[in-house]
Amino acid sequence: MQILRKTELKAFKKAKRLGASGIIKILKQKGLVGRGGAAFPTGTKWEFALNTKANEKFVICNADEGEPGTFKDKFIIKYNPEALVEGILIAAYTIKARQAFIYLRGEYSYLENHLKRVVSKVLRKAKSSLKIGIIVGAGAYVCGEETAVIESIEGFRGQPYYKPPYPPTQGLYGEPTIINNVETFANVPQAILFNDWDKELRLYSLSGNLTNPGIYELPVGYSLAELIGLGKPKNKIKAVYFGCFGGCIPYSDIKLTPENVCGKNCAVGAFTIIAVDEKQSILDIAENIAKFYEHESCGKCTPCREGTKRICDIIRKIKSGKAGKDDLADLKELAENIQETSLCGLGQTATNHLLTALQYFKKEFEERIK
Amino acid sequence: MKIKIDGREIECEKNKTILDICDENSIEIPKLCLIEDLKPEARCRLCIVEMNGKLATSCSIYPNEGCNILTDSQKVIKARKINMELLMAGHIRNCAVNGESNELCRLLDKLKIERIRFEPIRKYKQDLSESVIRDDNKCINCGKCIRACGEIMEVYAIDFAGKGHNEHVSPYSGHRLHDVACIKCGQCIAACPVGAIYEREHLYEVIKALKNKKKHVVVQTAPAIRAAIGEEFNMPAGSLVTGKMVAALRRCGFDRIFDTPLGADMTIMEEASEFLERVKKNGLFPMITTCCPSWIKFMEHFEHELIPNMSTCKSPHEMLGILTKTYYAEKSGINKKDIVVVSVMPCVAKKFESTRPELKSAVDYAITTREAAKIIRYFKIDFRNLPGEDFDNPLGIATGAGVMFGASGGVMEAALRTAYEFAANKPLKKLEFNQIRGMEGIKEGSIALNGKKINYAVAHGGKNIRRLLERKDKYHFIEMMACPGGCIGGGGQPLPLTKEILQKRMNAIYEEDSRLPIRKSHENPIVRTIYKEYLEHPLSKKAEKILHTRYYKRSEF
Repeated sequence: MQILRKTELKAFKKAKRLGASGIIKILKQKGLVGRGGAAFPTGTKWEFALNTKANEKFVICNADEGEPGTFKDKFIIKYNPEALVEGILIAAYTIKARQAFIYLRGEYSYLENHLKRVVSKVLRKAKSSLKIGIIVGAGAYVCGEETAVIESIEGFRGQPYYKPPYPPTQGLYGEPTIINNVETFANVPQAILFNDWDKELRLYSLSGNLTNPGIYELPVGYSLAELIGLGKPKNKIKAVYFGCFGGCIPYSDIKLTPENVCGKNCAVGAFTIIAVDEKQSILDIAENIAKFYEHESCGKCTPCREGTKRICDIIRKIKSGKAGKDDLADLKELAENIQETSLCGLGQTATNHLLTALQYFKKEFEERIK
Repeated sequence: MKIKIDGREIECEKNKTILDICDENSIEIPKLCLIEDLKPEARCRLCIVEMNGKLATSCSIYPNEGCNILTDSQKVIKARKINMELLMAGHIRNCAVNGESNELCRLLDKLKIERIRFEPIRKYKQDLSESVIRDDNKCINCGKCIRACGEIMEVYAIDFAGKGHNEHVSPYSGHRLHDVACIKCGQCIAACPVGAIYEREHLYEVIKALKNKKKHVVVQTAPAIRAAIGEEFNMPAGSLVTGKMVAALRRCGFDRIFDTPLGADMTIMEEASEFLERVKKNGLFPMITTCCPSWIKFMEHFEHELIPNMSTCKSPHEMLGILTKTYYAEKSGINKKDIVVVSVMPCVAKKFESTRPELKSAVDYAITTREAAKIIRYFKIDFRNLPGEDFDNPLGIATGAGVMFGASGGVMEAALRTAYEFAANKPLKKLEFNQIRGMEGIKEGSIALNGKKINYAVAHGGKNIRRLLERKDKYHFIEMMACPGGCIGGGGQPLPLTKEILQKRMNAIYEEDSRLPIRKSHENPIVRTIYKEYLEHPLSKKAEKILHTRYYKRSEF
């Protein structure tokens, strides 16, 4: 696997030779984009932070991988943490940051000691004066949102705030901050060092009603049917969820490119694929995900705080068979409103699963209606 | 740059939010969570507008050159309505007390919402304290109280707890308000758009006392009331209604109406003498005023090393209260057990103050300006058309100095007038100290007393108090007021408290000062009589006993 190739600090040494602008140029050339889901060009992000004048700059590695069905960051932290730390070193070198943070998901706290050992080993080897602090979250999904990560590190309630200003110009403690996903940082040294580095390769987190789930490194645009085939399903697959936020599509053989998936009102995000077979009810899944969002909403903005709760209530009502046609209309209206008027990415995507389910599997909802 | 709002081409500046631009062009946009002068949080999502086809919160978004903004498209109206419904879902329905409307009710009418699809689910216990009561069942999580407490007052007594729909406002660590470091300033009451925080009312007790023939009910009114109570009766902000206020209270059945500024004059006599004593003995500086009970509590919690610096004077209404029950009772021959003293205060902390055990408060009920207006309405008095009347004797003559206590900087100005004349033994040439007037957060100046240069400073609002304390050693005399603007911006005053309204009230206070015949506390004939007949001289043993108090160290949490 490409992601597991060791670079042994050679990339860091090369980066030092290249200088800040050289690093950014090479990252842009190689086409590295953020792997957290938004696919923002990494070189451009770093350039913003580099060009903002400030006394202090920070680097944050977002390891708060809370998306259900996504487990690629854990895989990297377990099997190639050196690449991750080297990526952070290069980022800090680029913008002359003296302090970096790794914001580790609360549920991954068992990896903290392992990561700490690697961090101190790599820093010692690199003879770098950079400080890398590991901060373990308290388990809130919303803390994966970049501004919420910043609030959380600063010691406030993990709640997002509106953008702009974006973190590369005004982030942690109001200073320019680079904040990238684990997979992005782990790819940085390889993109810099190896000429044969393939920018199209992604880590697919495959799970659901499959007998062979796991992490698969495959290129963007891989066929969904072949991917599901790798997972060896027992029953016929009915639908595919792109994580909780990405929404769902009826199972068909499509190429997994962002454009293809977006055309179906979904978001491919961090390449999370959850397969659902015929024996599952979409309504059960909708309730489960709605419950998840009700629990994980941070409570800051009105539509997400109150709306996710009401969505959950209406789905339960439909499930119990007591709901009428009005409820279904309310459900759609409310879901659209949450999507359009919420403050952060959590709220804006919290009802994607429902809207796509209502689009493609409306029958299953209507069957339960009086 | 040029943008388009509702089809209208509008020229605007670049660093302004959509909401600001709309305000300037008198396009009304509903909003609930915005606080004047603070960075928007964009919580309530009611100020939504359509920008280039997408919905955006107008309070936080800066428009781009040439963008097209719609403030009343179908999409915008629908989104606002649903968000309003969702807000209402967290708010109990039977909230309106005596049909009084609040910001939320008014918005509900404006957005024309007939049906709310979602049933409220909140079940919280009321948080009762001596002065401030919180009811989370009415709360809509707009966060304004938290920001008023944290960012304006820098007290941080309350914050959000819980997440998702369980998010609610809570004092530190889930305690109740009276167990935490809350200074009872009531700025959260002023900030709340839904009436989920309110003062502990003493209406029932006061009206009961008024109807009891055996009781001799004495009311005193603080200086800041006369500049504000008119607003409760739809008069413009800054209307000076001293005469009407006295007339209205008299018609409510209060037996005597005394003027708290007289108590303020007494405070000045004691405080100025105390200050001169310190100057003479080269005592502990800075000396800090103690008229504001919120500031006292603030000091006891966060700055208790200042206790020796504090003046020991009671607050003006407590002084007048005790004088009513001693001096006035003796003079008029009424048994002091039959006297009920009611203070009309702009303040909710005074309610707490009157429960302090060491004070043995002579004030039976401290009510706010809003409560006083309620009592006047209860007796169905047509406030606006009342004639002007005067305060009652013997405790009814006040000076301009006493009246100025209502505005930030007033205590200092009044004290300086008296201290100067005490020390120099000659009249002050110019009575106005313009450098400590106005709405600026920290004001300072200096004056020569007997050849010694005295630096003085004034701060109002918790944030400014903290800033001033960082450099307190420079000064000899400091006035602190917890509420922004001083008592005119107190937590018990008519709402809302915007900067514009505060400025108007402040002007009214200074107008009253310049209007009054006597403008220096020590020239008040009643003050002179009281000292001659009863207290001998300032800081006498008797005065120490009834007019002074002490303070305690409290926990920072």
